[in-house]
Amino acid sequence: MSEPIAAGPGIEFEHVWKKFHRGEHHDSLRDLLPALARRMTGRGQSAAELADDDFWAVGDVSFEVRPGDALGIIGRNGAGKSTVLKLLTKILRPNRGSCDVRGRIGALIEVSAGFHQDLTGKENIFLQGAIMGMPKTLIASKFDEIVAFSGVSAFIDTPVKRYSSGMNARLGFSIAAHLDPDVLIIDEVLSVGDYDFQQRAFGRISSMVASGIPVVVVSHQLDRIATLCTSAIMLEAGRVAYRGAPAECIQTYMSALGTGQSESSDPCGMRLESFSVVGPDTVPSGGQIRLRATGRLDRSGATGNESFAVAVHNVQAGRLVFEDYDWDMLPFAGTDEEFVIETDLEFNLAQGLYVIDSFVWDRQKEKILLTGPSVYVNVQGGRRFRGTTQLNAQFSRTVASGAVSEPQAR
Amino acid sequence: MTEINAATIGRPAARPAGAATGGVLADYRDIVRDFWRSRELLIELARRDIRIRYKQAIMGFGWAIFMPLLIVMSGCLVRFAMMQMSGGSLNRAAIGSIAVKSLPWAFFVGSINFATASLTGNINLVTKIYFPREVLPLSSTLAQSFDTAIGALALAVMMPFIGGTLSPALVWVPVLILLLFLFTSGTTLFLSCANLFFRDVKYIVQVLVTFGIFFTPVFFEPVALGHIGAKLIMLNPIAPILEGFRLSIIQGHNLLEPLMIVGPRGSAILEWSPWFLAYSAAWAVLGFLGASLLFHRAEYAFAEYV
Repeated sequence: MSEPIAAGPGIEFEHVWKKFHRGEHHDSLRDLLPALARRMTGRGQSAAELADDDFWAVGDVSFEVRPGDALGIIGRNGAGKSTVLKLLTKILRPNRGSCDVRGRIGALIEVSAGFHQDLTGKENIFLQGAIMGMPKTLIASKFDEIVAFSGVSAFIDTPVKRYSSGMNARLGFSIAAHLDPDVLIIDEVLSVGDYDFQQRAFGRISSMVASGIPVVVVSHQLDRIATLCTSAIMLEAGRVAYRGAPAECIQTYMSALGTGQSESSDPCGMRLESFSVVGPDTVPSGGQIRLRATGRLDRSGATGNESFAVAVHNVQAGRLVFEDYDWDMLPFAGTDEEFVIETDLEFNLAQGLYVIDSFVWDRQKEKILLTGPSVYVNVQGGRRFRGTTQLNAQFSRTVASGAVSEPQAR
Repeated sequence: MTEINAATIGRPAARPAGAATGGVLADYRDIVRDFWRSRELLIELARRDIRIRYKQAIMGFGWAIFMPLLIVMSGCLVRFAMMQMSGGSLNRAAIGSIAVKSLPWAFFVGSINFATASLTGNINLVTKIYFPREVLPLSSTLAQSFDTAIGALALAVMMPFIGGTLSPALVWVPVLILLLFLFTSGTTLFLSCANLFFRDVKYIVQVLVTFGIFFTPVFFEPVALGHIGAKLIMLNPIAPILEGFRLSIIQGHNLLEPLMIVGPRGSAILEWSPWFLAYSAAWAVLGFLGASLLFHRAEYAFAEYV
């Protein structure tokens, strides 16, 4: 990657701390006046210290996003993702550290917040555009594009209070997506509108990301993060808990989500040490995946009912797709023997991100004895179809004699 | 390509909070730059406010005339009652005096009414999108200016019939308009900001606006309050501005000249002094500067406290 020009667009988030207050802010004017006086004069107790009932919503978070980079931020609700975005968009100001964003920010956040219900779609385009910082001339030149993209052209002179919520969101997204920003910030707007619009919106975002501007994405749709981003961080209680490639970050997040059912007190003669994908972890829909698990067997403490098992979850939907265990008995011969189990899976699934958990299953008690590592598999489009499962449809065409067999010219 | 853009380029790296903020001058530089960059947004928001005011409104632009007209009519009634007591009669100049003071008063009151709630009424914007928040109260004031301009047009047409004079003193009118606008803007900046932190501010404002007309020489002339009262009421920062409108438009009086008048009881009363105007101007300018600074410094806390 080429070294960026110092003044070029980019984001520098350096050791940023942001505190929030639990409960009410000031109970009375008596509390407030001294506080305001301190704030005004900049004197008194430092804003960087934690008072009673304060907590750090974001603590010591640093990252840098340069042109060509797309940073994904993942984490549970309340981990500090939204606060980071509000710091980036200058709605909030850090208590400590610095947050420097160079260039015009395009924020795909709350895309229809500026809409006024009594104004028409057209009037709202100019209003929302101005609020988002677009010059009027730019809005005017992009007006037709925005309307066409939103698909509400028939209702553009209707007050938005008569719009459906989907139309509202589509129009808002279309305005924001035509900002031509220097820096792009995306928050959970990837699920706007119906399926078709989502595809178009995602295409639009992908092309904005591909144009090489610095991008920050916050989403619970982890497969989108995996597809869009070049790196990712995982936030936990306001801190950076993991930093790395999107795939590993998502894996860490998913295993952290796993509800800690890892070890049971039941005897188990099997230990899982590694679990990985043999070959590429990106397959076309319908493709083969080979998994390799290694571990140790120990005859003492084994019940003989232990089986190696895998479970496949759809990350976006958070749904179990497939779960099965090895039906053959393992030979528990000695103590501390190494084993390797290879599993072949046919990924007859729709495109998306899947997580595969490894665990040891007790066939008799029908319960998980211990969970091992997880891997993640990205399924690409392959053949185009809709739905969740690849059924490999084969269309054979037979046309009865006498019928018109030539395709009709239109 | 990059056209320098409103609002979003925003500020330089946020100063480390807690550290003494850079000088007041640096803040004013920020204020002016933010303001200049968000001029298009300011106009767009003012247009929004104007459109909304006249959409689905049965009287349409009639509202812009109706409100000041109502104030003038109540003023005439009050004045008529006063005349009945003192034995005079309601002449055209008296109606003209009330009219030229009612319109600015209506502007001041209307701006305050709309602007005080401008931040709290746009919570969704304040907490979700960044732009210099000054534009919210200022656009309300601007929208009110539009109404007032329509009223002023109507008033100008009627002026020859209600005692208006054409004199060199009319050059004071733009100066007075500027002072009124500055004073109103400063007040609205302060009140909208205060109302964001304390929601009861808008009730206090309601009371002040309702009773303010009794403490402001709109329906009467300060002279009617006697020797001391005439001076005391000029302590109200908006009083000299309103009196200035009356003296320059109706009486053709040069505001740089003091004006003595013989009161009803034969005593000499100081009706006007250039110092009155200077006092108002100081309020307008210092108030605006102070309120801008306060607003600018409190702005960062809006999203957290709202």
